[in-house]
This record gives sequence, C-alpha cells and structure tokens, in this order.
Amino acid sequence: MVDAFLFIGLPYLALVICVVGCIWRSRYKKFSMSARSSQFLEDGKLLFGSLPWHIGIITILLGHLIAAVVPRVWSSLMSVPAILFSVEAIGVACSLLAIVGLTTLIIRRITDARVQAVTTSMDLVVVLLLMAQIIVGLLTAVFYPYGANWSTGTVVPYFWGLVTLHPDMSYVTGFPMLFKLHIIGAWILIALVPFTRLMHVLAVPLGYIFRAPQIVLWNNARRRRVAVEATARAESRRDFIKGAVGVTGATALLALGISDKVLTYFKGPDPDPEAESALLQKKLERLQQTAEERQIELERQKNAMILVARYSELEESQGKYFIDYAMAPGLAFLGKDSLPLLISAKCTHLGCTVGSQVNSEGQILCPCHVSYFNIVTGEPNPGAPAKVPLPHLAWALIDANGETIASAKASGEVSGSSDPAVFAQCRLYITQPVSTSI
Amino acid sequence: MSFRTASLPALILLIGFAALPDLSAYPEFQVYVAESTGRTVNCAMCHSNSDGPEGTGPGQIGRLNPAELERLGHARSAFQPGQEVDSPILNAFGNHIVTSIGKEKFVELKAAPAHLAELLPPDSDLDHDGIPDAREYLDGTHPVNRNDGNPILLFKHNFRTNFSSIILTLAATISGVWGIGHLLQGFSTASRLKDNDHDEENL
Amino acid sequence: MKLHEIVKNTETYVAERFPVEKMSYSAMVEKKEVPVHRVSWAYYMGGLALYFFSVQVVTGLLLLFYYQPTVSDAHASVEFITEHVPGGALVRNMHAWASSLMIGAVMIHLLTSFAMKAFAKPREITWVTGVMLLGITFALGFTGYLLPWHQVAVNATKIGLQSIEEVGQYLPGAMAEWPRIVKEIIQGEAAVGQATLSRFFALHVIILPLSIIGVLGMHLLSVQLHGMSKGIDGTPTRHEKFFPTFFMKDLSVWGVAFIILFVISLTIPFESLYSYPLFEPFNSKGSTPDGIKPEWYFYFIYYPLELLPYWVILVGSGLLGAILMGTPWIFKNTSRKTLQILAILAAIYLVVMTVFGEQIYHMFKA
Repeated sequence: MVDAFLFIGLPYLALVICVVGCIWRSRYKKFSMSARSSQFLEDGKLLFGSLPWHIGIITILLGHLIAAVVPRVWSSLMSVPAILFSVEAIGVACSLLAIVGLTTLIIRRITDARVQAVTTSMDLVVVLLLMAQIIVGLLTAVFYPYGANWSTGTVVPYFWGLVTLHPDMSYVTGFPMLFKLHIIGAWILIALVPFTRLMHVLAVPLGYIFRAPQIVLWNNARRRRVAVEATARAESRRDFIKGAVGVTGATALLALGISDKVLTYFKGPDPDPEAESALLQKKLERLQQTAEERQIELERQKNAMILVARYSELEESQGKYFIDYAMAPGLAFLGKDSLPLLISAKCTHLGCTVGSQVNSEGQILCPCHVSYFNIVTGEPNPGAPAKVPLPHLAWALIDANGETIASAKASGEVSGSSDPAVFAQCRLYITQPVSTSI
Repeated sequence: MSFRTASLPALILLIGFAALPDLSAYPEFQVYVAESTGRTVNCAMCHSNSDGPEGTGPGQIGRLNPAELERLGHARSAFQPGQEVDSPILNAFGNHIVTSIGKEKFVELKAAPAHLAELLPPDSDLDHDGIPDAREYLDGTHPVNRNDGNPILLFKHNFRTNFSSIILTLAATISGVWGIGHLLQGFSTASRLKDNDHDEENL
Repeated sequence: MKLHEIVKNTETYVAERFPVEKMSYSAMVEKKEVPVHRVSWAYYMGGLALYFFSVQVVTGLLLLFYYQPTVSDAHASVEFITEHVPGGALVRNMHAWASSLMIGAVMIHLLTSFAMKAFAKPREITWVTGVMLLGITFALGFTGYLLPWHQVAVNATKIGLQSIEEVGQYLPGAMAEWPRIVKEIIQGEAAVGQATLSRFFALHVIILPLSIIGVLGMHLLSVQLHGMSKGIDGTPTRHEKFFPTFFMKDLSVWGVAFIILFVISLTIPFESLYSYPLFEPFNSKGSTPDGIKPEWYFYFIYYPLELLPYWVILVGSGLLGAILMGTPWIFKNTSRKTLQILAILAAIYLVVMTVFGEQIYHMFKA
C-alpha cells in the first residue's frame, strides 16, 4: 500500500505539480523567477561552489537522461567492460565534485551575511535535499555498483511505464531501502521545482553553446586594427581547442576499442585443448595429403614406367582411373582390338575429371558442363563446351620377365605383338613421355 | 543464375548412381537444393568429406577404424528420431538431421526433399550465424559454416550483434574527422595571423 | 633538327611537366586552390583510391603475420586467421572488401579524370603514370586472388593464364609455342602449383607494392606540382582553398569510406557472396565445382571473352591499352563535352557488362 503510493501515486502527483506549477509560474509570476541578487561584489566562493557543483550534477543527470531515452543503445554500449568502468568512474568523480561544490555553496549560504539577506527557507530545503539525494546516489553506486548497467532493465522500464500510463512498480519494489530513498528523493525534488529556485533549470541559455563569437566594434582606429588580429587569434584558439577535443576523443575511443584487440591479434589465439587438437588434426591430414601427392610426383620423376593395372583387369565399358606423368587423371580401357586404350581424363574444357563409364556410342561424359568424348578418337561431340580432343597416352605391356611385349606411342602407333593370348599375363604401364621443355 | 541445362544429364547420372542398392549417399537432396537455389552445392553440406562418404579419403568409409565403424553402425540404425548419433561420415548438420528426424523418415523424404526443411527444428542454428539451419538448407548455404549464408540475413544478424562496436567506431570517426578539421582550420587561421604579424613588422 | 635544338626542346618539355619551382610552401600549401563547379565532386576520387590502398597495405601487413604461402598450408592459414585469430576475421574481410572498393574508386577516378580532361598539357605524365597504376592495381587483384588457394582462386587463375596461351593459335610456325612458354614462365611450372603460388606471393606482397609506390610517387608529385586541373571547358569562377577547406572535405570523405568499409567487413563475410564449394581447398585430383569465375572487376572482359572470338578480344584490348596510354595526345583537341559523353558510354558498358554479364552470356550461349 505504502509502496503503491510512493512509486505510483507520488510520481504522478510530482509530475503533475511540476508541469502545472512551472507553466503557471512562468506565465503569471515571471518576475519571481530571478536570482534576487547579482552578488557582483562577491569573492571566489560562488565560483568554487557553483562550477564544481554544476559540472558534476549536469554530467550525472545527462548520464541518467541518456540511459532513460535510448536504453538499448546505452545497454549495448555498457556491455563493453572498458566503457562500463569508465562511465562508473566518471560518475563517482562527478558526484564527489558535485558534493564539494554543494558543500561550498551551503557554507556560503549560511555564513555570508550578504547572501543570507536574499535566502528564503525554500532555498535551504532545496539545498539540503539535493545534498541528501546526491549522497544517497553515491552510496548506491558504492554499495550496488554498475548501476549504469542494471538500471536499464529496472528503473528505465519503470519510468517509461509511468510515462505511458502503464505503471509497473514491480520493477522497483524489490530494491534495497537505500536505492528506494534515491527514487523517492527524485520525485520529491521534481514536485518542489515550481516552488523553488530549481526553476532556473528551465531558463538554461542553451543557445549560448551555438552562439557565434561576439565581435566588438571599436570606435578607435588603433583598437580596430588590433581587434582584427585579436579576433583571428581567438578564432584559431577556438579551432585548436575544438580540434584537440575531437582528436583526443577519437584517440580515447580508438584506444578503448582496439588496444586489447591489437595485443591479442599479435599474441595469437588461445584455444581450448579440444579446439587445439582439432586444428592439429586438420593440419596433419593436409600434410598427409601433400605427402601422398609428393610421393606420387617422385614416382613419376624417378620411374620410366608407372604401373596402371593388370591387363586382365581392363574392361571395354568401364575405365580404370590412374594418375599420369603430368599428375593429371587418366583412364585405361580395353580397346575393341584387345589392345589397351589409354586416354587422359582431364576434360579439355575446364579440367574436370571425366567419368569412367562408356555409353552406347563409345563416349565418356564429363559431368561438369556436359561434354561427351569418344574414347577411340578423343573427339568431343559437336556443340560441346570442350573444343579440344582428349589426348591419348603412351603405354607398354610388360610380361612377368620384364620384357616389353607391346607398346604404343601417344600418337597411336603400336609396336610389338598384338596377340591377346600373350597379353593375358602382362601388366599395363604408362611410359615416361619424351620431354618437350624449352 | 541458372545451371539447369548443365545439371539435367548430371541429374540422370546421379539418380542412376542412387539406384545402386549399396550406396549410402542421398544425392536427391543435393539435386533439389542445386536446382531450387541455383547455388552450387556438394556433399559437404551434410557429410565430412565434400566428395561424399564413398572412398578412402578422410571422412570417407574406406578410411574408418573399428571404433569409427561402430559409430557409423549406430548412426545407420537410428531409424527413430531422438537418438544422439555421431557418425564419422557426417558433419554436425548431418548428425543433427539423423538425431531430429530419424533415418526412416529421412529415407522417405528422398521423394520429397523440399519437406526436409519443415521437419527440422526451426530454431536450431548450428554455426550461430543467425540463420536457422532449415533456412540455410533451403538457401543452399552451409549450415555449419559461420561465414556462409544469405548476405542480407548475415548483415542483419551481425549488425545487431556488433551494434556497440559500430556505434563507438562511428563516434570515434566523427570525432576524429571533426577534430582534425578544426585543427587544420586553426593552423590556417594562425598562419594567416603570422603573415599579418610579419607584415606589421615590415611596416 | 640540330642537337642543341633537340636538347633545348626536351629541356622545355620536361620543365613544363615538372615545374619544380612550384615546390615551395607558398605555392603548394598557402596559395593552392581547387575549382568549384558542377563536376568538382570528382576531385575526391583520386584521394579515395589512395585511402583504400593504404587500408590494403595496413591490413595486408597484418595478414602477413599469419599467412603461409605453401600449397599445403595456404588455405589452412587463411582459415586460421578467419576462425581463430582474435580480430582476424575483420582484418581478412576488410582486405577483401577494400580490394573491390579500391578498384571501384580507381575506375571512377579514371572515367572522371578522362571526362574532366585532366590529362591536358602539362599533366600528361600524371595521366600516363595513372594508366600504369591502373595496370598494377589489376595485377595486384589478380595475384592476390590466388593466395587463399581455394577452388575458385586456383581455377580462375588457371583460366586467366590460359588466355595468354591462346594467343599462340594466331602465331605462325615455331612462334606459336612462345605464348605457352610465357605462360609457363609466369606460372613457374607446367601447371599452376607451388611455384606459381610462391611467385604470385612475391609479386603481390613486395614487387608490385614497391612498383606502385614508385609510380605513385611520380603521380602524386605531378599532382602536387600542377594542382587540380580546371575540369570544365571555360574558366571556373569559384575556387576554394586546398588548405584547409578542400582537405577537410577530403578527410570527411575518407571518414565516410572507412565507416562503410568497416560496417560491411564486420557484417558481411566476403565468402557469403559465393557458393561454399568454391571456397574449399583446391583439390588437383578432384573435379572442378560449378560456378568458377574471376573477380567481378574482370567481368567486363571475361564475358565478352566467352561470347566473342578470341581475336576480337585480343585486338580490342590492345587497342584499348594503346588508346589509354595515348589519351593525352589522341584527345588533345577534344572538348570536355565530348569527353563526358565518351566517359558515360564507357561507364554504361562497364556497369551493364559487370552486373548483367552472366545473363547476357546465357542469353546467347544457353
């Protein structure tokens, strides 16, 4: 019941009072919105009080505002640990700054006679409430840290629930007392705005930030000449400051963003043992593949002849694959004349491996772009993507004693016996081609 | 992009192969994906070896040791869904299919490969690229390769995941360019000043 | 002509092309101005190309720490960078995307410089060095593409180099062998293999970058000495100062280019643009997967190669090369209006052939 008042009733009351009150006061009691005294003859206390206080509190309130207005962007930014730390650190620093400033202002308000003369009781109420609020806020950050992160899932939806008239206090009722005090304090301060000097928040001269630099027009010729220089100097100084701020900001963000990544990039990955062994396994397999290829290459370098198959294994309609001297695939068939028929299986179009099955027209098919090659002539079918015929390869039939029984050159010229009965015991080899290098 | 004309005889060849009873690969699915998406696909979508399970290369049946053959046998007999399988000739997606659908249903799907996507669990994403595996099957992209997928879907997913980095980089670039711009302006104003000073002195 | 006249003429010619008296702070920094007119957006294109080149150098150096130029390890090392090295995927994707963006910027720079008649006297050296840079840039693209050693890399390189060998069919007698010999010298061996990879690696990482730096030095010196050309027929009425106004705008263009490159590299892996079998490790004994084609910036010559007889392409490319090199003298008296029309026609051809090349090919062939 109490919770319902404090977290739903009080907020709506405060918001209504604030809005209505501010509008009423700025229309009907304009002159009451004044500083009551310029404090022209005052010493440094206003400077050392007001500046730290305002710089601190504005930064903190800005952080609260951004988190409330764009919670998704804010929470995705806060998910970067370096950003979260920086934001929390800035928050704590600014709170301390604000407390120091506010303390100076309180001392000034209760000890300086000139200032006492223009102080109302509401001023004292406000200044003490502000001090309480900011101390409670700082304690929250100390005891329940990383509020920049957890607020987006709790306080922010609670606030938007109120604004969209679907209040849901379950977001905040579970909080510890310290933080609940902070929330209640905020609503009380909001309610007090129209009755106090806090209304000066509505009179902030935002236009000053974008106002062009003022140029003084001198009556005196010498001063006019000097003023031109001074303006240029001031302008270049402004540019340098803006430049320094921009470049420093960019460098800071850059450092934040890539410093750890640059180090880890050069350090290399740190995988877990499972991933490490999978990687090594893959490398090993690829090395083994390369080793096998080198072996085959070496064979073809050293040996004048490479074994393809036994003659008895050859078939007319199904070719046997082998690797030729150019490390390209080849096919071995039994020709119609019982002689071996060896043809390259590297498609002359784009290098696909041609299929080994012979069709009814004596052709083998390359499936990549559909070219049919006649195995006797090597010619591709008309209209095929391949234009160049598949070359035939030189072979030799060797018997059990190592004698060459028959052989053929790549051109097709056969020499030696052509008796199939003798071949039955022989093995088929490809012969090293005559080198055609430069 | 159309490879239809090239694939018709290849289709016949592949289906011809599939008619042989002792084959364990299922090319109907490959043919369906290649035809419907226009993308080139190979056996690596579901198998460990991109040339398929037949052969003696790594991830193929001819190279399995006894322990792996046992796993293969267990996977081959997983007719009903729900059994965890780890077949050495299948990759994570292939094993996922067998686990979630069961071999019996899968073999039935050979007649209607398009329906495989409907039977797979809709929120499974094995490579964590933001695209569900069923969708990757239908798109013809590799379900176990994080870098392969429909570029637009990958863009959306990666944009959301890296949103903070993008925002920060944008902030750093804008701040840096703005800053350097003003520095340049400052230098130019200052150097004009110096000229005026020199002129003054020379006067 | 007498010898001393020839020497005098040469002296005057060189002095006009390299006005080194303008290498003073006052001429190069303080007084430098850029014309402002309808086409002055084109003045940013050269700087953009330079920017993307520097991105390539930086990302390339980072990749160099992990890449291994051997046939058995190249693909695995690239996979290692992409999958395991922290930030490696971003570096690799930035290198791949920036190469395409650089070539795009270079092509726009070529067409706009042509249209603005930036090659007119005394800027002929700028133009000629620029054409050389164009050739080196395409060579960098071609050599770099082979390095990952996947299916599309090796096969596209094979097909590309094949076109050199095909010149042989037009040469008589023994000379018909020369193109094949040239091709094998480029490859380092009879077929594309380890020797080719080593060579292309050396070319891509040291030889071509060194030559680009040399030629770029000349190109940039010439640009700095002569300043921006006027760009339109007639005299430009408005000018802006190079320092700081134009340079600031140049930097903002580079900032935008960086953001675009960064976001694209972070979100769209380069490999997702092609079918995955094309990126599998190259298998010399297996078959070639479907869909092998060169990089998009070669489409304007690749599809015509597939459609038209080879000699047409050969003669056409030769003519194009000669025209490009000789532009400052061929188009000496052409008005900028005509040059703009020519540039637009060339741009239309390039865009149509690159984007619709495949469809056009299928219309005629399939």
